[in-house]
Amino acid sequence: MNSERISSWILKGYLVLIFLFVFAPIIASVVFSFNSQRFPTIPLGSFSLEWYEKIFNDADIWTAARTSVIVAICTSILSTCIGFATAYTDYRYQFRFKGVFLALALLPPTVPLIILALAMLAWFSKIGISGQISSIIFAHTVLCTPFAMAIIRLRLSQMDENLEAAAWNLGASQWATMRTVIIPFTRPAIIASLCLTAAVSFDEFAVAWFVSGLNKTIPVVILEIVQGNIDPQVNAIGTLVFVISMTLVIIAQVLIMTSQKRDSIN
Amino acid sequence: MSQTDTAIRKSKSSQRLYALTWRLPIIVWQVLFFVGPLLFLIAMSFFLVKNYRMHEAFEMVNWQKMFSRDYFRDSYFFTLGLAIGATVLCSVIAFPAAFALSFKVSANTRRWALFFLIIPFFTSYLVRTFSWYVILAESGVVNSLLQFIGLGPFTMLNTVFGTMVGYLTLTLPLVIVLQTFSMSQIDKSYIEAAYNLGCGRIRTITSVIIPLAKTGLVIGAVFCFILAFGDFVSPYYLGGSKPPTLSILIIDTTKSGQQWPRAAVVAIVMMLTLFTVAFASIAYAYRKRQR
Amino acid sequence: MKDKLISDKLPTSRRKFLKYGAGASAIMAAPYITRVSAEPTTINMLAWYGHGEPDIVGEYEEANNVKFQAKYYAGGDNMMALIAQSPPGTYDIILSDGEFVQQLNAAGYIDELDAGDYNFDDMLHEDFTQFPGHWADGKLHSVMVRAGHLGVSYNKNFVTAEEAKSYKCFWKPELKGKVGHFDWHLPSLGQMSLLNGNGAGLWDLDDAAWQKVQDTTLSLRPQVGGFFDYGGTFNSLKNGEMHAMCGIGDWITGVLEKDGAPVASVIPDEGGIQWTESYCIGKGSEKADLVKAFIQYMLSPQGQVKSAQMAAYPGIAITKAGRKLLNEVDAKEAQRTGQVDGLENDPITLINEGRIHYRNIPVQQSLEDWNDFWSEYKNA
Repeated sequence: MNSERISSWILKGYLVLIFLFVFAPIIASVVFSFNSQRFPTIPLGSFSLEWYEKIFNDADIWTAARTSVIVAICTSILSTCIGFATAYTDYRYQFRFKGVFLALALLPPTVPLIILALAMLAWFSKIGISGQISSIIFAHTVLCTPFAMAIIRLRLSQMDENLEAAAWNLGASQWATMRTVIIPFTRPAIIASLCLTAAVSFDEFAVAWFVSGLNKTIPVVILEIVQGNIDPQVNAIGTLVFVISMTLVIIAQVLIMTSQKRDSIN
Repeated sequence: MSQTDTAIRKSKSSQRLYALTWRLPIIVWQVLFFVGPLLFLIAMSFFLVKNYRMHEAFEMVNWQKMFSRDYFRDSYFFTLGLAIGATVLCSVIAFPAAFALSFKVSANTRRWALFFLIIPFFTSYLVRTFSWYVILAESGVVNSLLQFIGLGPFTMLNTVFGTMVGYLTLTLPLVIVLQTFSMSQIDKSYIEAAYNLGCGRIRTITSVIIPLAKTGLVIGAVFCFILAFGDFVSPYYLGGSKPPTLSILIIDTTKSGQQWPRAAVVAIVMMLTLFTVAFASIAYAYRKRQR
Repeated sequence: MKDKLISDKLPTSRRKFLKYGAGASAIMAAPYITRVSAEPTTINMLAWYGHGEPDIVGEYEEANNVKFQAKYYAGGDNMMALIAQSPPGTYDIILSDGEFVQQLNAAGYIDELDAGDYNFDDMLHEDFTQFPGHWADGKLHSVMVRAGHLGVSYNKNFVTAEEAKSYKCFWKPELKGKVGHFDWHLPSLGQMSLLNGNGAGLWDLDDAAWQKVQDTTLSLRPQVGGFFDYGGTFNSLKNGEMHAMCGIGDWITGVLEKDGAPVASVIPDEGGIQWTESYCIGKGSEKADLVKAFIQYMLSPQGQVKSAQMAAYPGIAITKAGRKLLNEVDAKEAQRTGQVDGLENDPITLINEGRIHYRNIPVQQSLEDWNDFWSEYKNA
């Protein structure tokens, strides 16, 4: 029993180390964002809001933020709608080539972003829609739909299969059932999906970098600062984006948790 | 024609309309913006470039050119080796953590731990990489700490070590989450049974836990491989592109003189490799279960 | 009748405006634009990193109610590729490396300029007025705005000034794994060609000489610690990751030096390379007049000082008036970079002594050959 306890403590210590590794860069980034040095080194310089002032006064960053927000909102709505339709199809129907159908829906995350970016830019310039905000939205929707689908599909699998049939028997049309039964039931998942896909889109840089042309998003600006005149503005932007993304994730998490709790009470 | 007939036909067609409403969006969208681009990528690998402009053609030139270049072959095997190394390393490092999360902590702690492991996905990977850059530098945090105990300085940036740190930053949280998901599903009574049958701790892990959690372990490894194989940020910024991986080669090739067709060749070779690895390992992951 | 009146009137007023507008300087014209519309006009710029940043264009944007939207590239081939993949007219103003102007022109990406718009008499060196490739058939296509010299860049704690007088210092055993490359073939291979003694013929290599350049370069490979983009070059010199850097010059070390890092760049005995940056007006741009005014601004003494003090990377002033103003407002920077008449390391003196060669594209090989070798080298 004693050796059991020792191994348990070793494992817990190991966990702490792992979390240290995972969070070291995040914490460092936040620290550097308040550090006065242009090239952060040890020992640290003094506390400074210089980098935040810089980004708040930089019109380009505001423009990029606007683009990012537009892209994130449109992407989250589109990918959640498409993801919902796909998840519902998977839940409700059996049909020939369903395997192909699902593969089509779920494959994008397995293709490296850099390849997707190359292919999409080439294709978009071919059909004449490259370098616009809409091209980033199209591309991001492809990336985000599988996540939306997964979240909504998970929720649908918690639904009593007889619920839909019962509504039909009561004379409701399919459309009415969709509106009054299925959508209300999946609402928390839909909102969670909206938040998560927005967060994914808000942070994506590889594809956006290729297809955005002159319409830079925030991550593209970060990439350009890293490639260019590297300075701790990167950390300041990173910290702000982190705060925004986390807010979205926490909203999503809370919604999923409360809906689960409500279900278990019911 | 009787009225019921029409009604049935009408309801049938409305049923079909209903079904198609949910089925079609993804098909249309993916064909337009996912399959289309990938097919075009294949076509593009046969195009020609003249004076920085791409001309549609059907020539094998790009394939011949890339396959006759030693650097492409070297880069391919280097990237493959790196990705396999990252996959093994990440799976091995993740396993004890996932094990601890699955069996050694309360359900509540596990939920919080998983929540914290998801956080990194929502911080900019670029920003995290840039932080590592500062932490690992010769005059950075790690070397300053090592100096206190009289060690170093060690060169960690622009080495394979740096690249690996970057890859792990990208993949470790995801792999731990996936491994934990599958391990925490294991019925604890199996493990107790193994103990009761006199299995040692190691034996229990190798002959009970790993086989039962196989699917999650393999899926985690596959994702790790995919992410590491396709990432360009770590090998570039932490590895000093020394030598360049295939993703860096893609960027280099597109940057210089609009050689997209050649970049397409690299991309297609990468995708073929990825699909082979992914399908083989997923088939392996699910094989035994069906028996 | 009324219609006719208006149409009769319009041309005269238009002509009048054009006449006065052309007569007025860029700065005079500026307030006019401001009054016309409150919403700033966007000017799309394609340039090396930093040229569209507030420290360069901020004041100008404010005074003229324009807004620069910049896309940054790294290397001339990259620039060509970016233009090729965007619709014509995407970029209003293109900052090109001098040696790529002829390529831009040959591909039909840039418009002709009116030589009368720019004050060539004020240039510090005669070569700047007739920069290779900027004129074709007596027509002007691009105006040089700034330049800088590439040589040996090194960390003073690890390389002595004496050693840095030759590119051979990159092979110093103590520098193993500590020599970095700026990740672009032209400057690095150019320096190798200089080391091989090709002097002024550094870009004009026959097969044997080209092979020799490749051999020399490959022999450096064991010393190399990494290939860096712009930000990586900065950071690795600053962090002490790299102790010497091939293919760069004061444009990188100058920024670090001002920040207090122990780094410097010198032109070694084998000679150095000049990078030259020139502005062009993108073909199909609807804002050519606005762009012209901006180029004039960048060539004005104020613009030249801004360029010399540019936060991203400094470039030398190329006009007499620009140098004069720089010496007045920032004597320290002028001194640091030798931009004082009579100084030994005055960039203009170096050019006159024949120690500086303008960066060019390979004469006997294609850019693709060089780039191909570069990929091979990186993988070696």
